[in-house]
Amino acid sequence: MTQTQTKTWDVAVVGAGMAGMAASLFAAERGLSCIQIGNGGGLLFASGLLDLLAVHPVAARRVWDNPFEALAMIRRDQPDHPLARVDDASMRAAFQSFTSALGDAGMPFAPLGDRNASVLTSLGTPKPTYGVPRTMAAGVDALAGRPPCLLLDFRGLREFSARQIVATIGDTWPGLRMARVEFPGAEATSELYAAHMAVALESGEFRERTLARVRPLLGDARVVGFPAVLGLARSAVVHAAFEEGLGVPVFEIPTMPTSVPGLRLNAALEQAVVTRGVHRMLRVDVASTSFDETAVLTLDGVPGGQRVSARTVVLATGRFSGRGLSAGQQGVTETLLGLPVQQPASRDAWHSRDFLDPAGHAINRAGLATDDDFRPLDATGRPAWPGLYAVGSILAGQDWMREKCGSGLALGTARVAVDRIARQLRAPSGVGEAG
Amino acid sequence: MSASFLRMAFLVSLGLCALGLLWRVSAWLRVRIGSDARDIRFHQRLFAAVGGTFAALFSRRIFGLVKAKVLDVLLQRRLFNGCWLRWLGHLLIVYGFLLLLVMHALGRLVTAKLYPDYASTHDPWLLLRNVFGAAVVLGIVMVAAGRRFRPTSTPRPRRLGDKVFAALLAVVLVSGFLLEATKVASPKAFYRMANEYIGSTDPEELLPLRLAWATDFGVAFPDLQGTPDPDKLAEGRELHHDACASCHSPPGSSAFVSYPISRALAPIAEPLDGVDADTWLLYLHLAACFLGLILLPFTRFIHVLADPVSLLANGAASSGPLSPAGRANRRALAIDACVDCRLCDDRCSVAPIARSLGNPALLPSHKLLATHAVATNPRWLDRQAGHARRIAEGAVLCTTCGRCTDRCPVGIDLADLWVAGRADLARAGQPSPAQWVRERSALDWDEALAARGAVQDPIGPLSSNRETYSACVQCQTCTNVCPVVAHGGEEPGPVDLTPQKVMNLLRLGMVDLAIGSSMVWDCATCYQCQEHCPEGIRVTDVMLELRELGYRRLGDTRERRQPE
Repeated sequence: MTQTQTKTWDVAVVGAGMAGMAASLFAAERGLSCIQIGNGGGLLFASGLLDLLAVHPVAARRVWDNPFEALAMIRRDQPDHPLARVDDASMRAAFQSFTSALGDAGMPFAPLGDRNASVLTSLGTPKPTYGVPRTMAAGVDALAGRPPCLLLDFRGLREFSARQIVATIGDTWPGLRMARVEFPGAEATSELYAAHMAVALESGEFRERTLARVRPLLGDARVVGFPAVLGLARSAVVHAAFEEGLGVPVFEIPTMPTSVPGLRLNAALEQAVVTRGVHRMLRVDVASTSFDETAVLTLDGVPGGQRVSARTVVLATGRFSGRGLSAGQQGVTETLLGLPVQQPASRDAWHSRDFLDPAGHAINRAGLATDDDFRPLDATGRPAWPGLYAVGSILAGQDWMREKCGSGLALGTARVAVDRIARQLRAPSGVGEAG
Repeated sequence: MSASFLRMAFLVSLGLCALGLLWRVSAWLRVRIGSDARDIRFHQRLFAAVGGTFAALFSRRIFGLVKAKVLDVLLQRRLFNGCWLRWLGHLLIVYGFLLLLVMHALGRLVTAKLYPDYASTHDPWLLLRNVFGAAVVLGIVMVAAGRRFRPTSTPRPRRLGDKVFAALLAVVLVSGFLLEATKVASPKAFYRMANEYIGSTDPEELLPLRLAWATDFGVAFPDLQGTPDPDKLAEGRELHHDACASCHSPPGSSAFVSYPISRALAPIAEPLDGVDADTWLLYLHLAACFLGLILLPFTRFIHVLADPVSLLANGAASSGPLSPAGRANRRALAIDACVDCRLCDDRCSVAPIARSLGNPALLPSHKLLATHAVATNPRWLDRQAGHARRIAEGAVLCTTCGRCTDRCPVGIDLADLWVAGRADLARAGQPSPAQWVRERSALDWDEALAARGAVQDPIGPLSSNRETYSACVQCQTCTNVCPVVAHGGEEPGPVDLTPQKVMNLLRLGMVDLAIGSSMVWDCATCYQCQEHCPEGIRVTDVMLELRELGYRRLGDTRERRQPE
C-alpha cells in the first residue's frame, strides 16, 4: 500500500532539534503550512537554558555581558559566520516568540533584556547564558548577590552533588551551605532518577513530605537551590508551591544531560508546534529526495513509504551527533542531499595539535556554506535549489559550543530563513508557483 | 401407539428435561472462574442474580434492554452484522423449528385451540409444515455454506451432547418428511381412514374413491394402473368431497417436499406397508423428539435459555459495575450462552499470531472451552498432554483488547473471562511467564542456563545485531522516562535492572542474564524509552524480543527442572 501525500506544503522542516523546532514554530506563526520530519530526541540533551552568544573570539575566551555587542563584533570579525547574517531585530524577535511559545506551553522564561545572565551549574561554575527558565531565575540573583543560601541534594541522585558546588564556589560565597535529604518514599532505594522525582513532586503529597524535610534545615538561608527536579509538565506550579512552602525564593540548578529541563523543553516545544498546526512525522528517515518545481521527500520507516511534497525545505539535521553530517576517511559529507561541505583540506587539518587549544579545532567549524538567505550552495557556489534552506548547527563557520551560541544560532538562523521563505512564497514568481 | 403412552412418554421426557435444565442453570451459580470468584458463596451469587435481574427489569434501562432483546435475540442483530448468510440460515433454523414445534408438535394443544377446524393434513397446515421443514433444511445448508466460506475456519472440538443432538434433529427432520411421504403413498393408510370414516375396506366398493385418491392424492394402489374411468373418477371425487375433503388437501402442491419423496417411494409402497413402515417411522420420529428433549439441556442449544439471561446480565453491567458475585455469575454463564458462531475468532487481534504459530488455542472460541474446563476441573490441563503450554499461550498472548467482547452477539464479556481465567491457569500449574520468571532471580536463571550448556537457538534479529544498541551512550534517558522504574521507587528493588543497563548487558554479550531480569518482564511496553532515545535505539522492541527469547530459553529450562 503506497500512500501519496497529495498536499503540497509551504515548508518541510527536516530535523527535530532546536533549529528544526524553531523553524517549524516560526513558519507556523507566519501562517505557512508546515510539516516537520525528523528523528527527534536530540533536544533531550538540552539544559533548558537558551544561550544567545557569550564568547568571542574563542581563542581569547572573551566573555560578553551584552550578547548583542558580541553579535556586532562577530559581524565585523567574521562576515562568513552564520550569526553575522542575523540582524539584532530578527534575533530579538526569535527569542521573544520562542520563549513566549514555551511560556504558553507551561515552561515560562524570565524576561529577556540586553544582558547575558550568569547561572550556577551543577559543577559549581558560573555559566553565561541568555534565556533563563523562570524556575532558575532566582539563582541568577543569588549568584550575583551571594546572600545566605542553602543548596539541597537528594541521596541517590547521582548526577547532582550540592557538596561539590559548595566545594567549588564556597570560597567566594561564605553564606553558601549544603544539606542532603532523603527523597520521600525512596528510603530503601539506592538510585534515584531525576524525571521520576519530578513527576512525583507534581503530587501535593510528595511536595509536602519533601518540604517538611527541608524546612528544619532552612536556618538563615534567604534563598534555596535544588537540583532541577521540581516538576515535569507542571514545573511552574511545583516551583511556586516550593517558594510558598519555604517562604523564600527557590531556584533550580540545571543538572547534567539528559536533564529534567531538557525533557520539559522537548515536551513544551512539541506542544507549541503541534498546537500551532505543524504536522509532525517523527521516527522516520528521508530515504530519497527530488527537487523540481516542488521538493519531493520520500520517507522511510512509514509502512509502504510516503512522499511529502513541499515548496520549500529547511534542512535542520544538525551535525555529527544529529547525523546531519558524517565524518569518514575521505572527509565530511552531508548525509541527506550530498551537499558540498566546507571543511579543512585534509583530515590532518581537522584538529589542532593541542586538544585543549583555546581556538578550538577546524573540524568544529566545518559545515554547509550558504548565501545571505541561508540557502546552501552547490559546487558551483550557487544556491543548490531556490527553495532549499539550511539552519542551525549544520552551518559552516561557527563553533557554537565554545562560542556559547547554540540557541542563538538555531533560533536566529531559523528566523531569518523563515522570513525569507515567507517573502519568497508571497512573491509573484519563484519557486513553488507550479505546486 | 396409545395416546396415554404417548402422553406419559412426553411427560417423562419433559420432566427429565426440566431436571437437566435445573442442573445446567444451577451451574451458572456454582461454577467459579477467576480468583475473585473463589470466596463467593452460593447464596451470595443467588442474591446477585435475583438482584441483578430485578435491577435490570425495573430500571429505566428496561426499554433499552427490551429493544436489545428484540434486536439481539429475536432478530440476531449482531449475527447479521457478521455474515448475512449465517444470520439468515440461523433465523431459518430457529424459527422453522419453533414454528414446527408450536404448530405441528403441539398441534392439538395450540393450533387446534386457536383454529377448531385444524387438521394436520389440510391446508394451510400441510403446506406450512412443509414450508417450515424446508426452511430448517435451507437454514442448515446456509449456515454450513457460511462456515465453509469463512476465511479463518479452525475446527473446535465439539461436545458429545451437541453431536448426538444434531444427529437427533436430523433424524426428526428426515423421519418427519419420510413419514409424511410414506403416508401419502400408503394404500394401507387409505384403508384405515376409509374404515374409520366410511366404514368400508372393500377395494371394489371403494373403487371410485380410490381412483380419486390415486389421481389427486398420489396413493399408490398397485391394482390401479392406466387412465381411470372418468365417470368413476367423478363419482369418487364427489364422495371425497363429502367424506374426506374437510380434513385433506391434495398434497401435490402443498406438500412440496414430501410429495416428491412419496413419488419416489410409490413403487415400494406395498412392501413398506407390509413392514408397517409408517408406524416405525412415527416411533422413530417421536423417540428422536423425546430423546432430543431430554438431551436439550446438555447441548449448546442451552443457549436458547442462556442468551436472554446473558443479555440481561449485559444490560445490568452497562448501568454500573457488577458486584463480584454478579461477575462470577456472568462468567459461569458464558459457556452456555455461547452459540459457537466464531465471530469472536474473526475479530480476535491475535488471530494472525494464532495462524502463524499454528496454535488455535489462542482463539476465543477455543479459549472459552479451555477457561471453563480449567476452572471446573483442575486436572483437565494435565490431561491435555503436551498441549498445556500451548493452551497457556492463549492466555499469555491475549491482549485483552476486548474486540471479542464487542463482537459477541449474545453479550458475553469475553475479555473479563480471559483475565479471570489466568488465575485459574496459574493454579493449574501454568502461570504466565511474567509470573514464573519471578521464581528465580536473573542471576539464578543465568546460572541455570549456563549449567544447561550451549544452546543453539537463534537470538532475535535486533538483539543479535550489534548496530541495534552500539549507539547507546548510556545517557539514562530511557530510564528517566520509564514508568516501571519510576514506580519501583516506592518499594525496595522490584526492578533489578534499568533499561539502559539492559542495553549495556546486550553490548557485553550477556543476553542470558538480560532475559531473566525483571525489567524485561515488567516492561509495560509503553514505548516511552524508544520514543525518547536520542540515538534512536529501539529499546522497547529489544525488550519484547528478549521476552520472547526468555520465554523459549527459560521456559525450556523450567520444564526440564519440573519432571511432573
